Amino acid sequence: MILLQSQSKYLLQLLTNRLQNLDKGVELDCQWIEFDDVRFNVQTSVKNSHILLLSLSLPTPPAGALFVGGLPYGAIEAIKAAYGTVVQILDPPKDGFNLTLKLNFSKLSPDEDTRQALLMKVASVREVVLGAPLRVILKHLASRSLAPNMDQLVSIVHRPNESFFLIPQIEKVTVIYPMRFKDSTDTCLATSFLQEFVEARRTASAGLNNAPSCQWSPSAPQELEGIPAKELSANAGFVSFVIFPRHVDSKKLDRTVWNLSTFHAYVSYHVKCSEGFMHTRMRRRVESLIEALDRAKSDQDKTKKAGTKTSFKRLSIKDSRSNSNSRASASWK
Amino acid sequence: MDASSYRPAVVIDNGTGYTKMGFSGNVEPCFIVPTTVAVNDSFVNQPRTSNKGSNWLTQYNAGVMADLDFFIGDEALARSRSSSTYSLNYPIKNGQVENWDAMERFWQHCIFNYLRCDPEDHHFLLTESPLTPPESREYTGEIMFETFNVPGLYIAVQPVLALAAGYTTSKCEMTGVVVDVGDGGTHVVPVAEGYVIGSSIKSIPISGKDVTLFVQQLMRERGENVPPEDSFEVARQVKEMYCYTSSDIVKEFNKHDKEPSKYIKQWKGIKPKTGAPYTCDIGYERFLGPEVFFNPEIYNSDYTTPLPAVIDKCIQSAPIDTRRALYKNIVLSGGSTMFKDFHRRLQRDIKKIVDARVLASEVRLGGEMKSQPVEVNVVSHPIQRYAVWFGGSVLASTPEFYGACHTKAEYEEYGASICRTNPVFKGMY
Repeated sequence: MILLQSQSKYLLQLLTNRLQNLDKGVELDCQWIEFDDVRFNVQTSVKNSHILLLSLSLPTPPAGALFVGGLPYGAIEAIKAAYGTVVQILDPPKDGFNLTLKLNFSKLSPDEDTRQALLMKVASVREVVLGAPLRVILKHLASRSLAPNMDQLVSIVHRPNESFFLIPQIEKVTVIYPMRFKDSTDTCLATSFLQEFVEARRTASAGLNNAPSCQWSPSAPQELEGIPAKELSANAGFVSFVIFPRHVDSKKLDRTVWNLSTFHAYVSYHVKCSEGFMHTRMRRRVESLIEALDRAKSDQDKTKKAGTKTSFKRLSIKDSRSNSNSRASASWK
Repeated sequence: MDASSYRPAVVIDNGTGYTKMGFSGNVEPCFIVPTTVAVNDSFVNQPRTSNKGSNWLTQYNAGVMADLDFFIGDEALARSRSSSTYSLNYPIKNGQVENWDAMERFWQHCIFNYLRCDPEDHHFLLTESPLTPPESREYTGEIMFETFNVPGLYIAVQPVLALAAGYTTSKCEMTGVVVDVGDGGTHVVPVAEGYVIGSSIKSIPISGKDVTLFVQQLMRERGENVPPEDSFEVARQVKEMYCYTSSDIVKEFNKHDKEPSKYIKQWKGIKPKTGAPYTCDIGYERFLGPEVFFNPEIYNSDYTTPLPAVIDKCIQSAPIDTRRALYKNIVLSGGSTMFKDFHRRLQRDIKKIVDARVLASEVRLGGEMKSQPVEVNVVSHPIQRYAVWFGGSVLASTPEFYGACHTKAEYEEYGASICRTNPVFKGMY
């Protein structure tokens, strides 16, 4: 598994289970957190077993991010477009959450395939909501126009108190990520990972020619002038992608939105993976070194080792007494 | 504390058969998946290509791909069945982690692809069997802190968590005997006031896997039409779906013989290689499977002490002032205690042993002293299958949990040895 998938596995499992056992309504109230501090809460009751309440809380946006009424710009429209009549937005949302959706199972279409597709879509609610502003901009790019009433520089939240930046133009959209990591080892690994990433795009012989071009720089690129320095404090440099209209065809749009809005999670996942694999290699190396040491031992050592296999010697009271006696007698001499 | 203290902790209970994982504060784990990893072998044994220029690059890429190309849980089982490029690996054997590489990968998938959380944001609660050596606890700590950068880690002992699970469902009792019958091992662990009585832990070499093997053996000996490559899996599912505990074997045999239509079940399957459907009967193995705990001699000749006797011996070896309380609260945990009426049978058999002993001592004393009857109570609750996980969830949702964790700062200061000591076991090592 190399890419993160947009649908939440647990949510999908919950929804499918619920749909299969609609008549056996059970009470359910569970919450969980996904990466980048997105909280989910699912509630159902025995009385109205075909109703499911799904609440979502999003990472706290930094100042200047595109947020309208506690939700990313364009989220409400995106939800309506994606789910139609099955989902209703409750206002105000559940306490402590940004958004509460009311799912009505009785309104699902009877056709198995469309039903499954809709459940998938509900499970990727996070993409729909958090990716909404990005989607609006990229849609305009696809039709080669500029979104109305948008600034020259748009900042979109993707992690708690962190955002990435978009520079929409008619022919292209530049996406810039300040990369931050908590741990120093992670920072080093991420930096070299990103450099390698850029290099792979540049030199790869086949297959990547159509991918968005990407750049990495240790300091903030010029386009980001005017952004408060606090938001530009990145310890693993800046990555920028240039997205052209061909990357946001109707079919590719969803995937592009998802991949862009979870780029940081993707990098940190890979940093963790590489650490894991380094440990695997280190462990293997230690084992082979120990083996080599064992081989170098002479036969005498080996037999000696086998003799004292137990880590401690059991002493009976008698033994210890005789031991101390002998020591005492030795000191007498 | 920072915001991380408000996020629920991640609770992962790695069992030999199944791994239960989820977030604290919930009633159910998010996922229960088989503890298995399918690794792609095809990259490793690739023949060297004659093309010299790209050779190192392809090999390098192959190595990278092999590292990333693996699956866990049900996906792993499905992959290994459908193609021969993946080989299955069970990282935990008999409750102990054997293969740390596979375990690390397993955790990685659990965290990133199943729970989809950022390990830096959450405290972690992992579990271990009571007999885990401190070294492997150190290893766990090393992986968690070095690879995943977790802010805090707590390694809990499974039976204590199982007891804590009962804590909320019935009475407030942290004294009891936990009978943990998992897929890989069976432990009988007495706990007094939340502290494990380490010297009285008894384990027996019969576990859920042996039940599966026994069912498989019975079906094979009767000549059921099950494809050999699938027979273990079929036996496992038969065990999980149809097995139950009988009160008396002889009576049960008679019942089956009188009304075969009522007791004998049909199993329908599809041969994995040819795709042809097949059916087979499930007969006596339905009650003979769980019987191995009560009459081990029907399964093997090496070990013949039945489970109730082991529990009784375990309680008898505990301090005398705790024994009555221990008899009163015998808690079941683990998937292999889920057989119907398992707790009734266990309670009856233990009661028999205890009553016999009380009677014998009364006779010995010549009826001068009358002892109070000993109350034997086997507690069973509906969440038995993931009782350990639930106990972990309860524990991790208390505010004290964050104080009891080993933190990343401590790890960096003192190293992995901080994981050797366990608050519950303090003084034992």
